[in-house]
Amino acid sequence: MDNSRACNSCGKRTIGSDLDTGHAVCTSCGVIQEFDNYNPQIGGISGPAGTYIRAGTSGTGTLYNYKETKIYEAQKEIEVLMYQLGFSPKKSEEVKAMVVKITEGEYGVGRWFTVLIGACAYVVMRLDVKPLAIVKVANVVGCDIYELGRMVYRVVDFLDLKLPGFDIVDSFEYYLRNAPSFSGVDQDVIGKMLKQGVFLVQCLVKWYVTTGRRPLPVVAAVLVFVSQLNQIEVKIEDVANELQVAVVTCRLRYKELLERLVKVARGLPWGQDVTVKNIMKHVTFVIQYMELKSMAKKSDKRKCFEDAGFDLDYLIDDCLSIDTDYNLDVADTENESQYFQMDRASRLSIESANKFQMSQECLAMIYSRIKNEMYVVESKNNRNNNTRKRKRRYDVLPYVEWWKGESEMSKKLLVKDIVEKDVGLSAMPPSYDGGCLAYERRKERIKAAKFRIHKTMYPSNAGATDKIELCPVEHANAGKKRRRKKQVDVDWEDFIIETLLLHQVEEEEIEKGYYKNLLDLHVFNY
Amino acid sequence: MADDHSSAIIPTLQNIASTVNLDCKLDLKGIALQAQNAEYNPKRFPAVIMRVKEPKTTALIFATGKVVVTGAKNEGDAKYAARKYARIVQKIGCHLGVKFKDFKIQNIVASCDVGFPIRLEGLALAHGAFSSYEPEIFPGLIYRMKQPKIVMLVFTSGKIVITGAKVREDIYTAFDSIYPVLTQFSKKTL
Repeated sequence: MDNSRACNSCGKRTIGSDLDTGHAVCTSCGVIQEFDNYNPQIGGISGPAGTYIRAGTSGTGTLYNYKETKIYEAQKEIEVLMYQLGFSPKKSEEVKAMVVKITEGEYGVGRWFTVLIGACAYVVMRLDVKPLAIVKVANVVGCDIYELGRMVYRVVDFLDLKLPGFDIVDSFEYYLRNAPSFSGVDQDVIGKMLKQGVFLVQCLVKWYVTTGRRPLPVVAAVLVFVSQLNQIEVKIEDVANELQVAVVTCRLRYKELLERLVKVARGLPWGQDVTVKNIMKHVTFVIQYMELKSMAKKSDKRKCFEDAGFDLDYLIDDCLSIDTDYNLDVADTENESQYFQMDRASRLSIESANKFQMSQECLAMIYSRIKNEMYVVESKNNRNNNTRKRKRRYDVLPYVEWWKGESEMSKKLLVKDIVEKDVGLSAMPPSYDGGCLAYERRKERIKAAKFRIHKTMYPSNAGATDKIELCPVEHANAGKKRRRKKQVDVDWEDFIIETLLLHQVEEEEIEKGYYKNLLDLHVFNY
Repeated sequence: MADDHSSAIIPTLQNIASTVNLDCKLDLKGIALQAQNAEYNPKRFPAVIMRVKEPKTTALIFATGKVVVTGAKNEGDAKYAARKYARIVQKIGCHLGVKFKDFKIQNIVASCDVGFPIRLEGLALAHGAFSSYEPEIFPGLIYRMKQPKIVMLVFTSGKIVITGAKVREDIYTAFDSIYPVLTQFSKKTL
């Protein structure tokens, strides 16, 4: 006790511990030492016993082991993800059953398990032919679509399932009805847009725009296009965000759609003046033309104009000679009429008629319709004393019902049937077109390389062949950047081609474009 | 092989992956330190990555003595490259027990262009048992041929990638088998 500290009251070193309260008390004067009741508990056998706490308990008497906790957490995770994806309880149960079957009731923990849930959810919806985009699932799960896609393949292989093909038409319908951008649109307009959209989507399927491409950007492009047709203000960025796809890709698909419509417009008499920039002014005619073509029977397609005694030039002159203040595109119509001032005597030959490849009924319907519409617009304009300037934006015949929606292409068809339909254009896949252009470009480069080699080897004879066209074929849709590049005479590709030619590689092999392979086989071989 | 549809197209071999066993334990760190054309980062990948220029190939050299050679364009190149790697390891690492055992070509990859566009949707529908076409996940159609056991990637542009063969003949047989099928789904016939 002598070792204790001094008492606050008497100063003697006689402080001890009170057995009942545990307080420090001076045994000499009896004063309790305030605020200093610390009593070190060193432990050991005689030390105080602590409270035993065990992790994993929940409430009183409940004890989960690791497996039960894992299953509980996994089921909770499934429920959360199903809620985020907006699945019904029945569908959630199906997903859960699929997860149980795959994991043999073990469930799982970790990132892979979340991806597995997403993959099962996607597979369940695909099996039920419901439009659920993999992008949406990937965003909810928090992984990229490649990772999710790999898991989907594994799930399908493991369960030996056969997924029905992704239906782009259903997807279009779903987003048109459910996308926030179209929430305020009248149901009648939605119905009309649906038919137009289905028609265009199926045309894009026919034109290979959807083959081998992600379907949602195509859906977004058609949604935007159809809303523009129906005077609904929608931005492509908004639609892309709602569909959770890249805006750039949507723009690209939109451009591809316009380019194909321009090609269709080439079938019309004034088609040569239609470009991507002004296609929206002519789009109603183009779509009408496509619709009529799709409705035409196969037997009508090649009917000779002369056999029917059909006076095409008279019809065209009659339609376009009306001196009208056509609201659609006054200046353009006037300018375009020059192309139709044909001499009555010079009737269209069979060849030129065949070039259009459309039946007399089609043409008659189109031109009579145009004539009627022009008359309607003219009378409307006269009544309104239209003096305002023509708007810069397109105006898609707001006064008349140009869209009939009677074509079978406006209804969902099988791919086989879509392919058989004629919509005025039979396009090749963009990748195939690109490949053909690249092939032609390589051929030209080989030709140029051969000329250069010849010029170097025989300088005296070079002058005779100087006039040979050496410029490589430029890309069909080459822009300004490509034109600038043209200034460069030879580039790395030309050098490779020259090297391969000097190593006696056959031109047919070089034309395929496997430069690296050919270099390894013929140039850098030992 | 259907004579009506046979084509003059010969798939071009793009890559041959082969393996060989050097049959001795290797000091990877020592190899990486002494060879100029080698890289070794055990935290990233537990093998030495070595490259040679002729034939232009890359090898993965494992501590167990097993070597994977990739990038060869033909079978001869693959074997020659494997021998080169074995010789390099033998010389620089003082691995006197290096042998050249169980050389085997594991995979041959070839590609070609059939020259016409292919309607993948139709092909997937008609050959559902063998093919998988998910444009949301991958732009090509994956065709798993049973005999010979080959996997083909078919693209709408008409370009084909053939993989999974152990011998060159399997590639040619597989292409000859698929070509008539592809012509059925070309743009001309649809």
